[in-house]
Amino acid sequence: MRLQTHLIRINAFFFKIRLITKKRLFHIFEILFWPATALLSVGLLTRFLSLSEDMIAFVLIGVIALSVVQVAQLDISYVILYSVWNKSLKQEMAAPVGIPHLITGSSLMGIIHSALIFAALSIFSRYAFGFRLPRGDFLCPVLFYGGLVLTAVSVGVTVCALSFRFGGRSHVGATSIVSLLILLSGIYYPVDVLPRPLQVLSAWIPLTHFLEYFRSFYGFEAGSRSPLLYGYLLALLYLGLSLAALFRALNRAKQTGVLLKMSE
Amino acid sequence: MPPPAVDIRDIEKIYPGNPAVRALKGINLTVPAGSTFCILGPNGAGKTTLISLLCGLLIPDAGGGSVCGLDLLTQTGKIRSRVNLASGHANFPDNFTVEENLTYFGMLYGIPRARRQERTRELIAFFELEPYARTPFNKLSTGIKQRLALAKSLINDPELLFLDEPTVGLDPKACLLIRSRIRDWSRARGVTIILTTHQMDEAEQLSEQIAFMKEGRFVRRGKAEDLKKSIGFQERLTIRGRGLVAASGPVEALPGVSRIRMEEGLLECGLSDRQGLLGAILDAVLKSGGSVDHVEITQPTLGDVFLALANSSDPD
Repeated sequence: MRLQTHLIRINAFFFKIRLITKKRLFHIFEILFWPATALLSVGLLTRFLSLSEDMIAFVLIGVIALSVVQVAQLDISYVILYSVWNKSLKQEMAAPVGIPHLITGSSLMGIIHSALIFAALSIFSRYAFGFRLPRGDFLCPVLFYGGLVLTAVSVGVTVCALSFRFGGRSHVGATSIVSLLILLSGIYYPVDVLPRPLQVLSAWIPLTHFLEYFRSFYGFEAGSRSPLLYGYLLALLYLGLSLAALFRALNRAKQTGVLLKMSE
Repeated sequence: MPPPAVDIRDIEKIYPGNPAVRALKGINLTVPAGSTFCILGPNGAGKTTLISLLCGLLIPDAGGGSVCGLDLLTQTGKIRSRVNLASGHANFPDNFTVEENLTYFGMLYGIPRARRQERTRELIAFFELEPYARTPFNKLSTGIKQRLALAKSLINDPELLFLDEPTVGLDPKACLLIRSRIRDWSRARGVTIILTTHQMDEAEQLSEQIAFMKEGRFVRRGKAEDLKKSIGFQERLTIRGRGLVAASGPVEALPGVSRIRMEEGLLECGLSDRQGLLGAILDAVLKSGGSVDHVEITQPTLGDVFLALANSSDPD
């Protein structure tokens, strides 16, 4: 099949998320309002606690990272969830599109939205709270951001897989996964304050390693010698597993008739 | 000679659950390319399951075959690019306008921008959707939503079009418009249509071949006229009057009378031979103390066939 045809199908899902963003006020809130209020409230808390400059950086890096993951995964999750809520999944899945089109198109929009959020929150943090990205090293924030997006894609694809199993209720999955990330991956505190069993779990979360990598530029010691490598390897592993789960969930939905039931 | 649009053998579909539902039981079907084929049957007969399976939304548990000359089990992606589907009460992304929905679906089918724009304009005009082009889907009336569903189903110029109750819930005027558009499109493009409906006139107007489905099987198929003949009576007698209930026994006992239906002031039955039976039936009514106000003899309709087959206890 011609490459152009695949690109148009990928663009269909990019177009879909663009329209959802444009028309659904709630989604704009999720992209802009929540990350902004989260950053502002945590930033003000650091002032109230009179934290040092490096501690402020530690906490704000966590908030920015969480916002990036949250925003990017939402765009991917919504590519299926929105159709489940509208009961239009049957019409869309009757078209000759596959999971690669669906995930690539929505991820592209997720990358754009989350890159804007990453840039906007970093700039705002600089002026409001004196937080600065590492000087003279352009690659470091890019690699950090890339890791966050890869993590977000795994989360988004997992939510899509859950959607084919649990329908519209699976958005709870997105919230739950992000809540677990807050608890386990060291968003607001170093993971060594966690009880030992939870530390073992946190080592299996790519976000933990990406945060350690980025914070190492602010004087915080990383738990491993190659946090970036560990982070990317884990993120790729979870991406592969989540895609396998999505293929399986779609296939199962076609075998059990759930795909039709979700459109009734 | 082109391959048949649909050629399937021994298709089985079981929905798992407690209890599991055997929705299709060894379906065999061949639909020649370019024809219009209608599937009738009561709710739960398996019509939507069959259509969903043919357009790749369900995976069969057994059997196989081809759609548009492509293997049903291994080439579903290619099949989906050559077929399309319009269902009754179809849903679309809620706050996308008519135009945006057609653009979106055009993209899903991989249609390049220039052709997609031309096609969208053409379909909006064909289904008289111009006044609603910028109206969000959730603000459209049922009839307009259905026109959008049909427009979407033609976006990729399909070789094979599945119409699953396309006029369900529409008023007669909207039904007429939709039927005329389906007929016009089918004639102009030579597209194969597989239609399910509960509207007998629609089935008769649009289809060359009709099949009745019941409990996951085809129980009869043929042309409308042949199907009417197949149910065992030539004409339907309707008598309106008073005291007809007492006559039901004697009338039912007459040889050549079938499928008797009795309501207050109404007696309906099938006749195998009008000449010999009409006098005997009227005689039986009068002898039972009834009176006759109105007598009507009509040809059997597809509705009669539907009722006869739907009510029969033996699916074969």
